[in-house]
Amino acid sequence: MDRKRNLLLAVLLFMGFLAGCSGNENSAQAEKTEDGKVVVDFWTFWGSETRRPIIEKIIANFNESQDDIHVKHTFLPWGDIWTKNLASVAAGNPADVIINDINTVSQRAENQQVEDLSQYIDESFEKQFYPHLWETVVYQDKTYAVPFNTDTRLLFYNKAAFKEAGLDPEAPPQTWEELEEYAKKLDVKTGNQYERIGFYPLWGSIGASSWMTNADDGKGFIENGKLAIDTPRKAEALHWLLGWKERLGEKTVQTYQAEFGSEQSNPFIAGKVAMWVDIGTFYTQIRDYGQDLEFGVAPLPSFDEDSGHWAEGGGFVAEIPKGADHPEEAMEFIKYLTGPEGQKYWAMKNFDNVANIEAAEAVASELTGDEQMVYQATVENLQQTKMFPVPVEYPDYHSRINPVVDNILLGKISPEEGLKKAESDVSKLKRE
Amino acid sequence: MKTASAHAFYKSKKFREKMKNTIVVFLLILGSVFVLAPLWWMISTSLKSPAEIAQYPPTFIPKEFHFSNYIEAWQTAPFTRWALNTLFIAVCGTIGAVFINSLVAYAFAKIRFKGRDTLFILVLSTMLIPGFVTMVPQYILFSKLGWLNTYLPLIVPAFLGSAFFIFLLRQFMMTIPNELIEAAYLDGASHLKIWWHIMLPLTKPALITVAIFSFNGAWNDLLGPLLYINDESMYTLQIGLQTFKGTVQTQWHYLMSMSVTVLLPVVLLFFFFQRYFIEGSNISSGTKG
Repeated sequence: MDRKRNLLLAVLLFMGFLAGCSGNENSAQAEKTEDGKVVVDFWTFWGSETRRPIIEKIIANFNESQDDIHVKHTFLPWGDIWTKNLASVAAGNPADVIINDINTVSQRAENQQVEDLSQYIDESFEKQFYPHLWETVVYQDKTYAVPFNTDTRLLFYNKAAFKEAGLDPEAPPQTWEELEEYAKKLDVKTGNQYERIGFYPLWGSIGASSWMTNADDGKGFIENGKLAIDTPRKAEALHWLLGWKERLGEKTVQTYQAEFGSEQSNPFIAGKVAMWVDIGTFYTQIRDYGQDLEFGVAPLPSFDEDSGHWAEGGGFVAEIPKGADHPEEAMEFIKYLTGPEGQKYWAMKNFDNVANIEAAEAVASELTGDEQMVYQATVENLQQTKMFPVPVEYPDYHSRINPVVDNILLGKISPEEGLKKAESDVSKLKRE
Repeated sequence: MKTASAHAFYKSKKFREKMKNTIVVFLLILGSVFVLAPLWWMISTSLKSPAEIAQYPPTFIPKEFHFSNYIEAWQTAPFTRWALNTLFIAVCGTIGAVFINSLVAYAFAKIRFKGRDTLFILVLSTMLIPGFVTMVPQYILFSKLGWLNTYLPLIVPAFLGSAFFIFLLRQFMMTIPNELIEAAYLDGASHLKIWWHIMLPLTKPALITVAIFSFNGAWNDLLGPLLYINDESMYTLQIGLQTFKGTVQTQWHYLMSMSVTVLLPVVLLFFFFQRYFIEGSNISSGTKG
């Protein structure tokens, strides 16, 4: 009898639980606030203690200025945010605005995962943004996203080390040849041990592919729909990279590498590496952990005197997922987010490069001291920064090139053979 | 002579036994070190300062113990709320998994009906379909039911049976003698009554295994809550842990201290249930004898 009662009680409890689960259903799906404003769902991956307050302040500023729109921010973990986006687009109830990768906009446009924004945009709006960023959001003459932030790579160099090595601290290396020459002078060695390494091209925020495009006059792996993987300049770049490893020795490179991975022990900040390639926000690490470091910044050295100082860039865009409930209101918010005010706030607080030209230039002139020097350099460097968006015909082509490049750098295959193989692998990938 | 050689034999056997024990203990210690090393690494990292985490070569024991990491990490986000949410989902799911699966398993193990074996194979075959294949269709289904942003998609499936648990429980129930069931049946007990009064108590060890598995699964699930929950106030601990992982840098000291905290209930639960697990084993061997 007792047990029967227990069973009954348990069943009742489940029902209670289930009822409790569904209690939130109506309020959570609400599309309007209590005072009748339209709710715009905004998904980002900015949940950290540093970024979240900044984006939420921008949202709060926007919300205060609006009578009919209320933006609701939802943080979703980096990477997983796009899994959720895809599922919700498929089910027809996505967010209204999402932050997404700048290099894959055309993929999402082709796959009908993102709304066409052309009707909300005119030429004067477009003119607010850096052209190389705007190009990435246009697919078949239609606009599918608005650029939000970006980055570029600079050469950070230790001025004190330059003086010590008898180099002019105001004259950073201009070409690869100079870079190598300076690096050798900056090396400090006792016996077989390096006390300081002048430079190593694969440390910092740069990889082999960036050096390959830098050598090839800024030409990416796929240029205007044509493959440009197996080129003489790209092979030469790989030989050059292998040369550095050979000179310093595999063991030296690996021992140094093992010490990286975090701000406090960054070898450039610690004075153990004299030149270092990184993005603009690397400055914040120098500011926080390397107060006494005397440093300068310069564009990446060029392959030779005739080629450009090409750097590679990335970034994020704001877009409206396909099937969003309130595209018009969403676009209003995107205009604020990517407008001068929102962008300036983001840039000042995050020391990040933004897509809006007016905002970027305002920040560059408002900052002072080292902050201004670095920020100004990154803004100028955007002129020689290239984006390499993934073409629709070659989705995921990186996955074919990267393993080959890894094998080339490990010495398992020669640069010429490897690039030939990579080009033929990618050509098989082509989707009509 | 005879006794001496017997003595020597005894001695050598004892010696061999000792050797065997030493090897076994050595292997066990080695295994434990392998299993416990990551755990220790997590705990030690959780007590270090960010500067010490970055140090090379790394330290095995923190030089300074930063217990404040735990409090600070907990305070960076509404973790109390998220912990309660997770507990709620995991407890509901576990209750469902234990009772529903055992009921289904009872039918497959002890009731003869037409097409039983075919049906059982059909149930098992659902295990062949990987979760990622059904992810989007399932999401669309729950979205059409209007269950998004509720805990229903995370709990209700637990009440609808899981092939693996059904299989596990059925195999266990097969070992229970049919006479026991038949005797109860002859005494006029219904199947439901037999299940409740005979099967459940006798299959305790298997049920506890199912409970541990399903609690652990729900507690550690990231993708489910991530897909179905939109309100941050309804998030779970696993999503919360991701806040420490950024695009540029990861707050390892917070991530690890929070991971220890999140792991704690699972470990405690296991130790707590382990006692019952042994108790349960005794009952089942008792009936067999």
